[in-house]
Amino acid sequence: MDNKLKLDIYRKMLLSRRLEERIAELIKAGQVGGFMHAGVGQEALQCAAIATMRPDDYLLYAHRGVAYWVARGIPIEKILCDLAGKEGGTNRGKGGVMRVVYPKLGVLGESGTLGGCFPIAAGAGISIKVKGEDKVVLCFFGDGTSNRGTFHEAVNLSAVRKLPVVFICENNGWAVSMPTERSTAVKDISARAAGYNIPGKTVDGNDPEAVYAAVKEAVDRARKGLGPSLVECKTYRLWGHWVGDPENYRSREEVQKHWRRDPLPRFERKLLDEKVLTDESRAEFEAEARATIDKAVEFMRSQPFPKPETALEDVFSESTAG
Amino acid sequence: MPTITYAEAIKQALVEEMRRDPSVILYGEDVANFGGIFRITAGLKDMFGDERVFDTPISENALVGGGVGAALTGLRPIVELQFADFLFTAGDEVVLKAGMWRYGHGGAYRIPLVVRCPSGATATGPEHGQCPEAFFMHAPGLKIVSPSNPADAKGLLKSAIRDDNPVLYFEHKLLYATRGEVPEGEDFMVPLGKASIAREGDDLTLVAISAMVPKALKVAERLAGEGHSVEVIDPRSLVPFDRETIIESVKKTGKIVVAEESYKTLGVGAEIGAMLMENALEYLDRPLRRVAIPDVPIPTAAVLEAFVIPNEEKIYQACRELLS
Repeated sequence: MDNKLKLDIYRKMLLSRRLEERIAELIKAGQVGGFMHAGVGQEALQCAAIATMRPDDYLLYAHRGVAYWVARGIPIEKILCDLAGKEGGTNRGKGGVMRVVYPKLGVLGESGTLGGCFPIAAGAGISIKVKGEDKVVLCFFGDGTSNRGTFHEAVNLSAVRKLPVVFICENNGWAVSMPTERSTAVKDISARAAGYNIPGKTVDGNDPEAVYAAVKEAVDRARKGLGPSLVECKTYRLWGHWVGDPENYRSREEVQKHWRRDPLPRFERKLLDEKVLTDESRAEFEAEARATIDKAVEFMRSQPFPKPETALEDVFSESTAG
Repeated sequence: MPTITYAEAIKQALVEEMRRDPSVILYGEDVANFGGIFRITAGLKDMFGDERVFDTPISENALVGGGVGAALTGLRPIVELQFADFLFTAGDEVVLKAGMWRYGHGGAYRIPLVVRCPSGATATGPEHGQCPEAFFMHAPGLKIVSPSNPADAKGLLKSAIRDDNPVLYFEHKLLYATRGEVPEGEDFMVPLGKASIAREGDDLTLVAISAMVPKALKVAERLAGEGHSVEVIDPRSLVPFDRETIIESVKKTGKIVVAEESYKTLGVGAEIGAMLMENALEYLDRPLRRVAIPDVPIPTAAVLEAFVIPNEEKIYQACRELLS
């Protein structure tokens, strides 16, 4: 990974973290009515994996956090407008912050039911293959979601049809209040790849370079028409399931232990040690993130709510193939 | 105009649309090498190649959800389910994904998806014999068609394939072998959302869906012999639904019977009844009559199945009751 890429991933991790902190403040202050599943602690893997994508690739992100969208380059004021259910976002108040969509960067949207992403990802893979393109699909999901039947159906279908899909598991140890060891019969989700005869790899999800290398290998393989892969990124959900989660199901000690492995300061220290980052440039990035977020929050506040009667729009497309 | 079967008409529509538009693909269980369990797609793989026509694992969620994903990314997939009942297997993908992805994402994407659903009771029991249209009429975002004859089977399928929305296409298994005149050429289309008046009449409106239409036409003929003029209406599309044609007919006849192969409670007839209550109550001389499956699963043994599926006699009796 070259220095430019390292810095780019770091900036996006930082901006994502600061944006989630601001969103949590806005929600707690009652200034936006949205609902947010924070991704704090998982930004490294999200930003590094998405850094492997070309602009014309497809993305099915998971429900945890803003970093997917920040990493993909969706303007953050749009994310905030979707959170607030306002005009100026990506889905006109129809889907909230859980359905941020951005067709021009291949961001296909999100399934409200966990595991709905898998068949959609396979379908995008079918499209790519039928058209003879060399695009890939990145499909993110959590360890809990890997227990949906759709995972089995879609990964198997992708494997037998050699579809260009990279399945990226964010194993953060928890599915709301259910720890992975109680919900999931295997220790490593990547072990399930053997059941589909595809490559499966587990990496430290808090190490952006390790994630980038593993996902890049899978993306290159898919682009060559060699089929899907499963990459498991071990990480930890540092915040609750949602902003406001009482978290009475896990110990403070456990959470504290993982804060010491927080990927953001860890990557920061590494970049400072390598002299890729300096104290000055770090301060600049912080200031830049704050200014960007301030401006985006102002934009969100200035936007109107959608006209109530627009609730009746967007059910059907009026167009046909002609 | 050539006379062909309903099954041949479906295949003709598939072939014409796949020739016309390279973004149309077709997949499902046993559709390619075997040609489909009802033989509708025999030969298509050889015509269009195994990227555009392919067999899949037994994975209904992935088939329908995959169709949504392919539609989002520029194809016009046709997914064949072996039985309409399997829509329930793929329930999330049908109702929440196909039906709601566009809406939930603010209209950002179009979903030109067709799911072909062989329907109807053929002594195969509760999970292979339903006509489940009414379940999905309740779900926003899905178009629904149920052709009753070869010409409509072809014309509606072509419209469904060219439509930019998800369409559930119900093809009744007992109609596959029925014959009728079907226009040739790729320009022949039947628009979605337009009912057909299968027989004109003045005394009673008989709305019949799918395989009930040929039965209704026989009942109308029998009643004509008894001096009653029955108007038979085939809605053809259930979503969008042509209310006007039914309302206009009821204004003339004042009486209506709905014959369908759905369960009675909240079936198509229930919706038509409610729609008439809201729009045409003053024109109804007699209460609406529904001929539908009593609210039991469909039994397998032919003698039991025949007891619950609407037949000509039941439709005739319902009409007689209103005409007396």
